[in-house]
Amino acid sequence: MQLAVNIAVLAAIYALVSCGYVLIYRTSRVLNLAHGELMMLGAYGLFTTASLFAGYPLLAIATSALLALIVGVLVYVLLMRHMAGEAVLAAVLTTIALGILLRGTIILFWTAQAQHPIRALGLTNQSIAIGDAKISAVGLTLIVVTACVYAGLYAFLRYTAWGIRMRAAGQNPLLAAQRGIGLHRIYALAWGLATFTAGLAGMLVACDSALDQTMATIGLKAFPAALVGGLDSLLGALLGSLIVSASEVLIIYYVDPLLSEVVPFIVLLAMLVVRPWGLLGTREELDRV
Amino acid sequence: MKRTLLLGLLTTWVSCANAQDAYVIGLSGALTGPNAGVYAPVVEGIKLYVDHLNGKGGVNGRQIRLLIQDNSGEPSKAAADAKRFLSQDNVIMVVNTSLSSTYAPMVSESKRAGVPLLFAGAVCPKEVYPPADELQFCTTAFTPGYDTRMAFTVIKEMAKEPVRIGFAAMAIPISRAEMDYAASVAKQMNMTPVETQISPPPAPDYTPFATKLKDANPNWIYSWSPWISEVRTFEALRRIGWQGPYVTIAHIPAEEELVRLKDPNFIVFGANALFQDNQPGHRDIREAAKNAKLSYSVEQMAEGWIAGMAIEQALKNSGWPPAPEKLVKSMNDLKVDLKGLRDGGIEWTKDNHFRAKQSYRVYRWDPAKQAIVRVKDWTEIGAK
Repeated sequence: MQLAVNIAVLAAIYALVSCGYVLIYRTSRVLNLAHGELMMLGAYGLFTTASLFAGYPLLAIATSALLALIVGVLVYVLLMRHMAGEAVLAAVLTTIALGILLRGTIILFWTAQAQHPIRALGLTNQSIAIGDAKISAVGLTLIVVTACVYAGLYAFLRYTAWGIRMRAAGQNPLLAAQRGIGLHRIYALAWGLATFTAGLAGMLVACDSALDQTMATIGLKAFPAALVGGLDSLLGALLGSLIVSASEVLIIYYVDPLLSEVVPFIVLLAMLVVRPWGLLGTREELDRV
Repeated sequence: MKRTLLLGLLTTWVSCANAQDAYVIGLSGALTGPNAGVYAPVVEGIKLYVDHLNGKGGVNGRQIRLLIQDNSGEPSKAAADAKRFLSQDNVIMVVNTSLSSTYAPMVSESKRAGVPLLFAGAVCPKEVYPPADELQFCTTAFTPGYDTRMAFTVIKEMAKEPVRIGFAAMAIPISRAEMDYAASVAKQMNMTPVETQISPPPAPDYTPFATKLKDANPNWIYSWSPWISEVRTFEALRRIGWQGPYVTIAHIPAEEELVRLKDPNFIVFGANALFQDNQPGHRDIREAAKNAKLSYSVEQMAEGWIAGMAIEQALKNSGWPPAPEKLVKSMNDLKVDLKGLRDGGIEWTKDNHFRAKQSYRVYRWDPAKQAIVRVKDWTEIGAK
């Protein structure tokens, strides 16, 4: 039972992070390699707002989530917008540069000291029993939030005008633009939503353990999950996260913990050999990469 | 145009003169990267000491110019830093405050130039133990072998029933090797090693590692690794219900972490006295910190401060003008009174660049007193 709980929590982390990769990729074909750093920035945002609004945890969380959304939009408006029309590789390289810049900026502002946002929020991370297994309160929240985010994104993309426009822009940007869809607005929204979900993941992971420079690496660890599921499929990201996390947890328990770092990439390699476009990705999309 | 050129030449001449007028030391440290939280405060502690010393007039009437470079814990960057220090800046000492993976390139550069290399806040390499390498020295509190023997001394004294011990390490060579050594010591002491969990640096969730460790049913766990792995594995164990005693080396953030965790079974041991012991050395650090803008808390300054004290004494004995050979000679016969920051001081001889004795204090949180308490006073651990 404890293993199932561990798989669920790890899958929730990977899924919450990887949906950001998918959102940006399926809309603009850009692989955002600064996603881990944006996740870390969201967590530091929570640490700051928790200190600013001491005694008001909900206000601190809401403000930092909103800030994450705004940061994503600003990244697009101030940086990625200028990559429109350029080769995809140039845009990807720009995200790498952005990641380096963010890492440096974060250390300048917040130092390398490990921080504990949950303490700043005045909350505690109690253990909750589920049968004979235990889960932390934040771990449970992670699972619930991930489920809500995926349900919300599904509803948004399927039933709202902006969501349908976003799908249209992803499928055929030229045709979408000719139909009057403002591509820059759509892309900005995609970056905003992706950074918002990354920020949520960062905040929750930081509350469950701690916040330091290593969080950017954790963000990158979710990348194989997105690739396994298919880079243009949200459902694929969810499935990929489950597969990768289950492999990781089971290998740690039954084989050797040292293999835990390579397992996601073994799964990814196997997937690339059998089905290069991922479990639920489309072949056409991969050809364009 | 001529005026600009003259001004440029004058500036260059002045800066060269300044460099020749000061002791120049190069420090390459992990100021960023995954383990920066442990190393960056040490660098700040050294800088605090050097600034404090320069404020009082320096050493032998000369200032110390401390050049600091960030190597992010990467060997290639550490090599580039050492090359720059030795070929461009003409330093008389190189300081390493970083991961063990950065040692090899810095050692080879220091040997090539014949300049001493000081490990400060970086795990002491075996080359500083007798018979010591002529150019390598170490002031760091934590050190392989000795630390593990101290851990087992604590466990043996505190255990009330047969010990089934689990180990938590990080997937870096030095931590894994120490856990292998710990398993052999456990067997020698009639304890039963039940499981070793090795987590990568970093893991998004430490619970899967903790689950395996808990299911092996240890009644003690010992960890010797970077702090991030030690404390996060411990917290994950608590979250899944393991309540046994967890023994670990007191890294730089230990004092603040004991207060944060408030767990009476989280037991730390260290060669540095915690600030709550309020020794004269602690009071000096607090005084110096009052006028400094520190990025890290004063409780994390002791390790760097101790390195600064050793550097000062070595420079003082070597006199002026500075030369690496004179400095090595001075470091080969060095005694530093650490004013209570450790048990005894630093003592280096030609054969021993580690210290004459290595002692530890043991601490834990006391819920009744709502304070950190000393479990065991200075305990000397002999050589292997």
